[in-house]
Amino acid sequence: MASTFAAVFEIVSFGAIIVLVVLGLGIIASMMGIFNFAQGEFVLLGAYVTYLAYAHGAPVWAGMVAAPFVVGAIGFVLEALIIRRFYAAPIVAMLGTYALGLIIRESVRGLIGGFYLTVPEPIGGSIDLGSVHISAWRFTIIVITLVVMGGCYLLLARTNFGLRVRATLENPALARASGISTPLIYGATFAFGAALAGLAGALIVPVFSLFADLGIRFLIQGFVAVMVGGVGSFIGPVAGAGVIGTLSAALPWVMSPVVADVLVFVLAIAFIKFRPQGLIAGKGV
Amino acid sequence: MGGAEQAVARIREEPDVVTGDGAPAARAPAGQASAGWKVLPIVEGLVLLIALVLPWVLQDYLTVFATRVVILALFALSFDLVWGYAGIMSFGQALFFGAAGYGVALLARDLNVTSILLILPAGTLIGLTASLLLGGFLLLGRYPSSVIFVSLGTLTGSYAADRLARGWYYLGGQNGIPSIPPLTLGSYEFEEGPVYYYMVLGILVVVYLLCRFLVRSQFGLALAGLRENEQRIAFFGYKAQHLKAIIFAVGGTIAGLAGSLYAFHEGFVWPNMLGVVFSTQVVLYVLFGGSGTLIGAVIGTVIIEGVSFWLSDNYRDVWPIILGVLLLLVIMFRPLGLVSLVLGERERVGSFGKAPKPKETGNAAP
Repeated sequence: MASTFAAVFEIVSFGAIIVLVVLGLGIIASMMGIFNFAQGEFVLLGAYVTYLAYAHGAPVWAGMVAAPFVVGAIGFVLEALIIRRFYAAPIVAMLGTYALGLIIRESVRGLIGGFYLTVPEPIGGSIDLGSVHISAWRFTIIVITLVVMGGCYLLLARTNFGLRVRATLENPALARASGISTPLIYGATFAFGAALAGLAGALIVPVFSLFADLGIRFLIQGFVAVMVGGVGSFIGPVAGAGVIGTLSAALPWVMSPVVADVLVFVLAIAFIKFRPQGLIAGKGV
Repeated sequence: MGGAEQAVARIREEPDVVTGDGAPAARAPAGQASAGWKVLPIVEGLVLLIALVLPWVLQDYLTVFATRVVILALFALSFDLVWGYAGIMSFGQALFFGAAGYGVALLARDLNVTSILLILPAGTLIGLTASLLLGGFLLLGRYPSSVIFVSLGTLTGSYAADRLARGWYYLGGQNGIPSIPPLTLGSYEFEEGPVYYYMVLGILVVVYLLCRFLVRSQFGLALAGLRENEQRIAFFGYKAQHLKAIIFAVGGTIAGLAGSLYAFHEGFVWPNMLGVVFSTQVVLYVLFGGSGTLIGAVIGTVIIEGVSFWLSDNYRDVWPIILGVLLLLVIMFRPLGLVSLVLGERERVGSFGKAPKPKETGNAAP
């Protein structure tokens, strides 16, 4: 019983991490129609900012608070300078963001060297539930993920800003005619997606430690999750992330980790092949 | 995904050049500064000439490096066919390259097969089989696949293969398969050096000519049409998905050939050969050199590998960043790559099939 609970906790906490990473990716893909290949590097940047704060003597939590703002600002600037040129052409956007990701990744690699740098958990220790001990930090990640997910949903579904974002997604020409500044909305959406990635990076760096290829792994998992969930809605990518995250964490309990890793990808691609619209079809929130 | 075709058209800038009478258009003298002169054969001849004399002027260790570059150029050619001509974004081309490399390495290790007459066909066959399976799965079927799906599918395939190779003890795990014996022909052993170089160069030239013939044939014309406007080609009665699957398999075959040559040249295979690292590199070569021109793929490989080798002593850390910046600039401002600096749009698209007789060009020009 105790071990089952521990396993379930592991699975849920890994699922939460994937959801957190995919949230920003999904919002950019669904709301803007471009697949941002630099998203993994935004995660990396978030982790790096946290590490920098820690290395300069600031408390870890301060770095974690700063990370989404810093990464969001970087995302906003990049959108205005570069990404903006790619909206008409999804493939070119893919290649362009890919090049951007390469630049960021290699810069960070140059800055940190080939090391694995560790950042301590701001909330250490474990929570004891009878005979079961669960990591306090992982529990915190689950809670934060739920809060962020709810917040994003409310932002997109209930606020004026969310309405404008959705209008821009649905019909850019009509949105412009109604007086919505679509370039600004795109910029803000992209920055928001980048900030979410930065937050994800900041939160997971104590668990995974900081290394230059941190982003790649999450990028591919994230994309697969977005495709499984379905592009176009808010809830689609989140559902996809839940499925992929749960599968990736659960399968290694019943088979060899290597086979499990590959099997998740094979299953996901096969699923997308036969259901291209994803788990949850349709647009909107 | 409706915007996908637009995207492909956008990157080539002038979609309508390909339609109809490509041949007369390419010959029409109007507006061509260099009337009567074709740049492409000159560029190709120059590259070949340089490649031929290279071992005479280089030191031995540089010849070994040049051999590696020629093999990578072969690999780049395979990606250029798939992306530059058919518009299929294969982000996992290294899967075929690496699978063939691992395959022939296993043949050499477990069955002691090193004869070039068996190894090269085996590698080619592995590349063909793998690309037929993956391409058939990703491209064929009831629904036409979106470009995003195909690129993600290939990327995922390559990444998954990388993970599998890393974790599988039989394939050597992280370290790969070391100390592959040299390639043999009868009792002769191909050692690294000029002989290996010329053998590989010979293969590259043959494959290049075959590809050139292929893309200038009727099939190539259909491919170009596919790249520019898939729907229109489908309305003409072509089976667009089948065309794509065929060219994808051709690309995979060439990548397999390159992979088996690479494995025996380096003497070992390792998981990066299958994964994202090599897949990325080949995209860089082709985009940088100029996709949609076969020679662009070769030139891109030579320049990127050459500069990276040259800089490796002093600027090893900065080089990947510079590479990223260059790639970004190319994508933003010169989507047709470096070759487009000397090669006009008309010549890049080229002529298809038999050229008409010169006297007919006057009235055939649109």
